[in-house]
Amino acid sequence: MNENILETQDLCYSYPDGTQALKGVSLKIKRGLTTAILGGNGAGKSTLFLNFNGILKPSSGKLLFDGKPLDYSHNGLKELRRSIGVVFQDPDSQLFSASVLQDISFGAVNMRLPEDEVRRRVDSAMERTGIAHLRSKPTHCLSFGQKKRVSLAGVLVMEPEVLVLDEPTSGLDPMGVGEIMKLLKETQRELGISVVISTHDIDIVPLYCDYAYVMNEGRIVLEGTPQKVFSEAETLRGIHLRLPRVGHLMEILKHKDDFDFNGTAVTISEARRMLKKWKDGRKPG
Amino acid sequence: MISIDKYAYMSKLKSKDPIQKIIFAILTLGVCLWANSPAISLAVLFIMGWVTVVKGGIPFLFFIKLMLVPMSFLVIGVLSVAFNVSTEPEAFLASVPLAGVWIGVSKAGLHQAVLLFFKALGAVSCLYYLSLGTPMIDLLAALRRLKVPRIMVELMGLVYRFIFVLLETAETIFTAQNSRLGYASLSAGFRSLGGLVSSLFIRAYKRSDELYTALEARGYDGELNVLEEYHERHWTGYIPPLAANAFLIAAALLLRRFAGGPAG
Repeated sequence: MNENILETQDLCYSYPDGTQALKGVSLKIKRGLTTAILGGNGAGKSTLFLNFNGILKPSSGKLLFDGKPLDYSHNGLKELRRSIGVVFQDPDSQLFSASVLQDISFGAVNMRLPEDEVRRRVDSAMERTGIAHLRSKPTHCLSFGQKKRVSLAGVLVMEPEVLVLDEPTSGLDPMGVGEIMKLLKETQRELGISVVISTHDIDIVPLYCDYAYVMNEGRIVLEGTPQKVFSEAETLRGIHLRLPRVGHLMEILKHKDDFDFNGTAVTISEARRMLKKWKDGRKPG
Repeated sequence: MISIDKYAYMSKLKSKDPIQKIIFAILTLGVCLWANSPAISLAVLFIMGWVTVVKGGIPFLFFIKLMLVPMSFLVIGVLSVAFNVSTEPEAFLASVPLAGVWIGVSKAGLHQAVLLFFKALGAVSCLYYLSLGTPMIDLLAALRRLKVPRIMVELMGLVYRFIFVLLETAETIFTAQNSRLGYASLSAGFRSLGGLVSSLFIRAYKRSDELYTALEARGYDGELNVLEEYHERHWTGYIPPLAANAFLIAAALLLRRFAGGPAG
């Protein structure tokens, strides 16, 4: 067992039209953690994800899954795609069937599992994503958020080791964002899988992610724990990203209003702790 | 069309075996065409309407509205059958002279028209029964079970799924154009419509690409293998359709013998 479930070394990818989408990406996805790939539009996140499960083949550089280079043979790819499940950004391009049940079953049936096992996995994936009541609804009558859950369930049935999600929160309302991220966190913990999400929703990163890579124009520009990444405010602003709102507030309080904080806080609970400490420190005696 | 689809999913007949429903619809359709009698056609219309509305729970008014859809075609068709042209006014029940000939309604023509009218309504009601009680998904499952070539069923399934995506996209583009006065004048309307169609085509093409990628990511092997939905499948389900049709056939034969109805 390798500590890094997925690793890229100096990965480059150019599209047939000559656009260089990835320019030497090296990153390590740790087993059993949630990793965020942060980046603005066109940073290369989606291209990177398609390289992860062998849909795209890198122009140069290396990809390692569980320490072994990817096997691009027919069977190798099949095994790889079973182990690395990708949930796409737009559920309407992923859901091919008008039947929720049939769409979810697709990946599991392709693994040639016995029917009982397929049914068990479909049921458990629906239960987990909270869509059991949509079983007999047609796909086109679902809301956007429900479609996102169905596409997630359709990947969970393969019981992958790595769950890769392209912009899992885009297009969802605030409640939906919280729900889907909690669901992912639970899934990651209970099944012991590794989760990789791409996002430009800054505020969810310190709350739900253990590690973050920041991409810009096909390169990794920052990496580290969310704490560390968000201490580099200027770099982030230079590439069309920003601090979490709370982090920004704490930064203003510290630098413009002369609050004497130590360190940084990027979540509400961290900020609360820091402000409490500051208040206690001011009490006479 | 969209509302037919909605009602099909709400129908109380949804859980019944789709093959039984197909057999009922097609068998009754066949009997309606074979019997060639307005009375039998009316009976078919009532049976199918009753099953759809009472057993299926489709609103009565909606069913009537649907039955009115083919009416305009039907009326034109029936009128052209009913009216004849002749040089002899005696051949008609009622007629008007026009440019040296007589145009009018003959007894045979009238009979033919009435027959055609009810036969068409009866036949249409059979198809409405099927489409209002069987969601497309179940119909596709039935076709698979009936060993229709896989590629055809898969294509039908994809077309069905993406009709809705296509419509939604077209609607969004249309609204966006309309809110920028894209349809304010006739010429602007033509220009906007052209833009709508071409961007719809490009988006559909892009979407098919994305769909293929997403399918590949889930282990697509050239076949869309999925779980089958479960339906109540029991041989007793065949009894009501067969009984109804046996009754219709018997009634048609009796009518022919005793009422001197038209021979087929």
